[in-house]
Amino acid sequence: MRTGIFICHCGHNIKHTVDVKKVSRFFKDFPTVVVSEDYPFVCSEPGQDMIEEAIKKHGLDRVLIASCTPSLHGELFKDLLKKSNLNPFLLRRVGIREHCSWVGDDPGPNTEKAIKLIKAGLYASAHYVPLEEKKVDVVKSALIIGGGVSGLSAALFLSRMGMKVYLVEKADHLGGHVGALKNIWPAREDGKSAVIDPMVSELGIMENVEIFTSTTLSAFEGFFGNYQATLNTPGGVKTVVAGGVIVAVGFSPFDPRLKPELNYGRDDRIMTTLEFEERKEGLSKDPRVAILHCVGSRDEQVNKPYCSRVCCINALRAANAIKVRHPDAYVESFYMDMRAHPKGGEEFFEETQELGVLFTRSNIGEIIPSSGGLLLRGEDTLLGETFEREFDYAVLSTGMSSPEDSKLISSLLKVTLDKDKFFLEAHIKLRPFDTAVKGIFIAGTCSGPKDMEESINHGRASALKLFGFLNLGYAFVDPFISWVDPKRCSGCRMCEQACVAKAIKYDEQKRIAHVEEAACMGCGLCNATCPSSSISLKGHMDSAIDDEIGAMIEGQSLVASL
Amino acid sequence: MTEEKEKNPEIVGFACSFCTFKASEMAGSLRMKYPDGIKLIQVPCSSRVDPAFVIKAILDGADGAFVAGCHPGDCHFIKGNYFTRRKIAALKEMFDAFSMKDKLRLFWVSAAEARRFVEKVTAMYGDIKEKKNAG
Ligand SMILES: Cc1cc2nc3c(=O)[nH]c(=O)nc-3n(C[C@H](O)[C@H](O)[C@H](O)COP(=O)(O)OP(=O)(O)OC[C@H]3O[C@@H](n4cnc5c(N)ncnc54)[C@H](O)[C@@H]3O)c2cc1C
Ligand code: SF4
Ligand code: SF4
Ligand code: SF4
Repeated sequence: MRTGIFICHCGHNIKHTVDVKKVSRFFKDFPTVVVSEDYPFVCSEPGQDMIEEAIKKHGLDRVLIASCTPSLHGELFKDLLKKSNLNPFLLRRVGIREHCSWVGDDPGPNTEKAIKLIKAGLYASAHYVPLEEKKVDVVKSALIIGGGVSGLSAALFLSRMGMKVYLVEKADHLGGHVGALKNIWPAREDGKSAVIDPMVSELGIMENVEIFTSTTLSAFEGFFGNYQATLNTPGGVKTVVAGGVIVAVGFSPFDPRLKPELNYGRDDRIMTTLEFEERKEGLSKDPRVAILHCVGSRDEQVNKPYCSRVCCINALRAANAIKVRHPDAYVESFYMDMRAHPKGGEEFFEETQELGVLFTRSNIGEIIPSSGGLLLRGEDTLLGETFEREFDYAVLSTGMSSPEDSKLISSLLKVTLDKDKFFLEAHIKLRPFDTAVKGIFIAGTCSGPKDMEESINHGRASALKLFGFLNLGYAFVDPFISWVDPKRCSGCRMCEQACVAKAIKYDEQKRIAHVEEAACMGCGLCNATCPSSSISLKGHMDSAIDDEIGAMIEGQSLVASL
Repeated sequence: MTEEKEKNPEIVGFACSFCTFKASEMAGSLRMKYPDGIKLIQVPCSSRVDPAFVIKAILDGADGAFVAGCHPGDCHFIKGNYFTRRKIAALKEMFDAFSMKDKLRLFWVSAAEARRFVEKVTAMYGDIKEKKNAG
């Protein structure tokens, strides 16, 4: 065995608390290790060149890269091995950043931990064998769940690229929230006629798009490339087959009734920014208006600690609109921080200040309605003083909550939600469109607050990624599937009962089990169940895991003696 | 009286790729801290954990071992973690018979629960460390 070990400094990120020199020196003496080097950035081009050269020069047959977590740069390093004519499954990644240098501060123990983690990787990779990536046929069609701007833009992109699209919308019409906005920022146009109608009419003439309104998803199964979705349509139950899925179920507007101290719903002088849009013509002359930011956002009390991004600009627009109509009106805006987020927002904030809207940095405790007006109690957070003021109206700028159906969709599709019940991206920066499940993507506000432009971009980007996955009609998936050793199998059929994927078939004649490769999901349950130890999950063999365990525990003294 | 050096436990955790391992990656990115005695082995699903692995970890000298996966009902492989729950429950009884129940834990941590991951492993580490240094 000829292993090359490459230890990344990640600039200061790893080097800061792990003595990388000591680590690389430690592994130089191992009989199976031919190269052990540390390097400032192994993912950089010179870093990759160094690894490629070492593979060629030393005839390496195992490569161990100790750096960031295995789920980052996975494809990059796999391709590097392929380029060097080495089977990519002979690569081992060890996460000494997320699992070591970033979670401990003390260089002594951290260095020791890094050594143990790398040793575990070294021992495990000794059991690795070259594997063939599994080629699977994929269906060139996409299921899009949700017909708001994000789902619509994904559907448009895919249909223009010639891919079959099934678009499922719960409501009886397409468009989502944008369809109801009368005055969208920054275009100041009607959402339905300016944005939704053109998209819907183009989709309507595309032959490869099937639109299901008033429809929900009731069951979902299959694997990447071949998912089966059961739809409850007004015309009955229908099953569609899709290679991949885009989840675009949007958001739910925060319900201000969840903050009873604001008395929303009990007094019609208290309204949301959306209701204000409808009612702004009918306000009394020169009214006194309070505008509240962050209603249902950045608020631990209602479990919404995040910023909803669009409500500052909506609050500003309400304030601005009143001043334009009634220059003598008294308008005071109560905000925590001003996050006039989309394009032109800061300029609009200045313009609104110049119109004479007062901005008070504050926390609002309650709104108390009486016949004379609305009494607002709060704390001025710049002065550190409490105040009470009377208004004729209060406008609440409400934020975005997670979609109503997030729990349902997440359990049907087996994708994860974040702590705020929005859909979780595979990696917030590097894979913001993917979920952890291959072929299932997310688009728009269902993964967190976004404005329209961001939602549309997110939808298109997910569509582009899905297109890339499916376009060839086939794809390669990890070959981590189970295999039965016929010599050891006693025919007890325990594995058959355990396998949910029904991938295990029992041969009545030979009285042994075998695995249908195409159906195996690679969970390893059968491997852990078989009483005769006759099943192995490729890539996660018992022997490799056993040695990994051993390496993590053994050799305390070895490290100490350095 | 000479001052004894504190004994730090070594704990091996088996973490499912789809949830707990992801949570641990997030804990790292968020620079959350937990003891260096916690070391993870990544498995495709908590159901891949053969009870024999846990026993091997303890026999090799680990002070504790844990198995962690997605919350019941959320398994990426549909029902894997229900099997895990049953197997680990049986294993716990066996550990109990040898008075080493505390050495084994099973917990559910989803991919989004970095904080929960840190809390769970830190608590386990703390309890084992206390026992190790007592008496
Ligand atoms: C008060 C307010 C004002 C705003 N003003 C602006 C603005 O001026 N400018 C701007 O850029 N942005 C604005 N936004 C943001 C904008 O509304 C969002 O960015 C946009 O709606 C996001 O689109 P989406 O497709 O992600 O979600 P949505 O618009 O929520 O669409 C989701 C769709 O999915 C459907 N759905 C949900 N569950 C299911 C299910 N289980 N099965 C099938 N279908 C389902 C829903 O019925 C809906 O049609 C505002 C937001 C709010 C709250
Ligand atoms: S955009 Fe403004 S109002 Fe909305 S949550 Fe963020 S800070 Fe609060
Ligand atoms: S690894 Fe999982 S899916 Fe594959 S045969 Fe075994 S139990 Fe079935
Ligand atoms: S559990 Fe093992 S021994 Fe029993 S049938 Fe399956 S492979 Fe054969």
